[in-house]
Amino acid sequence: MEEFFQQFANGLAVGGIYALIALGYTMVYGVLKLINFAHGDLFTIGAYLGLTVLAALGLTEFYGAVIGVLLVAIMIMGMLAAIGAVLDRAAYRPLRESPRLSAVVSALGASIFLQNLVMLVYGARFQVYPLDILPSTAVSLFQVDIPVVKIIVLAASILLMAVLYLFVQRTRIGTAIRAAAIDQGAARLMGIDVNRVILIVFLIGPALGGVAGLMVGLLYGQINFTMGWTYGLKAFTAAILGGIGNIPGAMVGGLLLGVIEALGAAYISIAWKDAIAFCVLIAILIVRPTGLLGERVAEKI
Amino acid sequence: MKRIALFAVGLLLVASTAMAAGPVKIGLMAPLTGPWASEGQEMKQVLDLLSADLNAKGGLLGQKVEVIAEDDGGDPKTAALAAQRLTTKGVAAVIGTYGSSVTEASQNIYNESKIIQIANGSTAVRLSEKGLKYFFRTCPRDDEQGRVAAQTIQKMKAKNVAILHDNTTYAKGLAAEAKALLKGVNIVFFDALTPGERDYTAILTKLKAAKPDVVFFTGYYPEAGLLLRQKMQMKWNVPFIGGDAQNNPDLIKIAGKEAASGFYFLSTPLPKDLPTKESKAFVDTYKKKYRNAPSSIYALLAGDGFRVITAAIKEKKSVDPDVLAAFLKKGFKDDRGLTGRIAFNAKGDRVGELYRVYKVDAKGNFILQK
Repeated sequence: MEEFFQQFANGLAVGGIYALIALGYTMVYGVLKLINFAHGDLFTIGAYLGLTVLAALGLTEFYGAVIGVLLVAIMIMGMLAAIGAVLDRAAYRPLRESPRLSAVVSALGASIFLQNLVMLVYGARFQVYPLDILPSTAVSLFQVDIPVVKIIVLAASILLMAVLYLFVQRTRIGTAIRAAAIDQGAARLMGIDVNRVILIVFLIGPALGGVAGLMVGLLYGQINFTMGWTYGLKAFTAAILGGIGNIPGAMVGGLLLGVIEALGAAYISIAWKDAIAFCVLIAILIVRPTGLLGERVAEKI
Repeated sequence: MKRIALFAVGLLLVASTAMAAGPVKIGLMAPLTGPWASEGQEMKQVLDLLSADLNAKGGLLGQKVEVIAEDDGGDPKTAALAAQRLTTKGVAAVIGTYGSSVTEASQNIYNESKIIQIANGSTAVRLSEKGLKYFFRTCPRDDEQGRVAAQTIQKMKAKNVAILHDNTTYAKGLAAEAKALLKGVNIVFFDALTPGERDYTAILTKLKAAKPDVVFFTGYYPEAGLLLRQKMQMKWNVPFIGGDAQNNPDLIKIAGKEAASGFYFLSTPLPKDLPTKESKAFVDTYKKKYRNAPSSIYALLAGDGFRVITAAIKEKKSVDPDVLAAFLKKGFKDDRGLTGRIAFNAKGDRVGELYRVYKVDAKGNFILQK
């Protein structure tokens, strides 16, 4: 039983990161019906920029670990939001009136471009975050050891997701995003600047993805330029699992995927960990094609 | 077509006999560019030093020795081209190369052209099991590493052993090799992880539940570093042993000195730990010329290949590949090789145990275990 809870806790921590990245996929899909394949690479860029900022500015040395990391996180979110806006402007907006397939191809191209850009700037070898910026101790809860860093990461991702949920549900801009997600044409007729809404989506999604990259760097210490692919794929799976286009769905899907993987590794086989996660996805898509929470209210005409 | 081919071969023969009057040419096929470029560059530097030294002492057969280097880029396709170029240049033998798959791509080309090839970093078992007449290597084979791993684990008096690999040909082979050789212990765990991930806590938790006395991980250093680091965060104190793909200073950077301390790994001796007077003298000369010591043992193994072939040519006063190959397999013995004693068996594999056990100390240094 102890092992079960330990694996459950392991899974939740990984799942929190999947969920955070999944939000970027799900928001872009919700509004644009586009899978932003470059999202995983924005996550990688977040990890690398985090390392650069940490090393160049030494913020943790001046302000102490928690405030320093918080400052770095805010800077990374800002930078990634800017990159997201540029990406939208350069790769997606020119194709907005084209068939959806063109935008998907453009997303794949952007992904390859960004990945190679990171490789050119930072080199092909993996890089290492400075050790122990955050405390490396573990707390024991009911004989389950959970590293403090993981608790911080999980708490931070849940906090970010909650803020995002409130933002989308309670603010005027959030209402505009939801309106554009339902019907862009009608939203435009109601006086909503749809291009601005899309821009905001491309500010928020990459910012969250970038912060997830920073978290992975702080958690595991080792980053390389291809890491966005695996994490992107998992987060994409999580978004579909929860119901793509649905924000709480991305959170639930992410956490669930992390836990399924950990338990699958524990009780079936480690080498089959990814296969198990994808089998669950397929099973859910057969039973519930819209994903777990993806029940969209039928749009009234 | 056939006639042209025959003509070309004839021309080649004429050319190679004409060459015999010129300098003795030794080829080097090495990854001068690509992912292993630093290793390849060192190989060339070592051969340049050795050939300059030999020429200063009067050369071979009254001639100068010339090293002709071709770049294989660490890539099988480029290696096949490099091998074809070298076969047209009248080389008496070829030293190289590093990766097993890269060597494999060039083996038949050299064998068909009757050129002796002495590989220096290709450890896959199958390379010498093909029965190629002119293939040799100065590096050990993977099955020898499995043997040393099994011995080391048995010396630690472990009752329960966990073996973890990463499904690559090399790591899986080494894991299976060690498993088969481990007698009188329980293998409580045998499975693979997925390389390239960040979070291995699920695997570590499962490993911990199997309660091994020692864990043998046969994969590469990026995963090994993460495993060590996350193992420490879990407060799990179990000795880890790694294979020679974990012999890399970056392992310490990933794991951190604290987590890496006490980690054992198998490796051919590092240049700093080489046993003989000759190797120490050579490392000193190398340091003087290139400012730092060679970091890779494979560069020195290339040097050994060069020493072996030039010594054989000197002894037999011939560059005939049949004479040389027969001599290397029977009767050749070099007690003063850069990496120790060198002799070959009938398959062209080096005889003798080369693997050592290293332990990481608290400062992150690799310390040779006696």
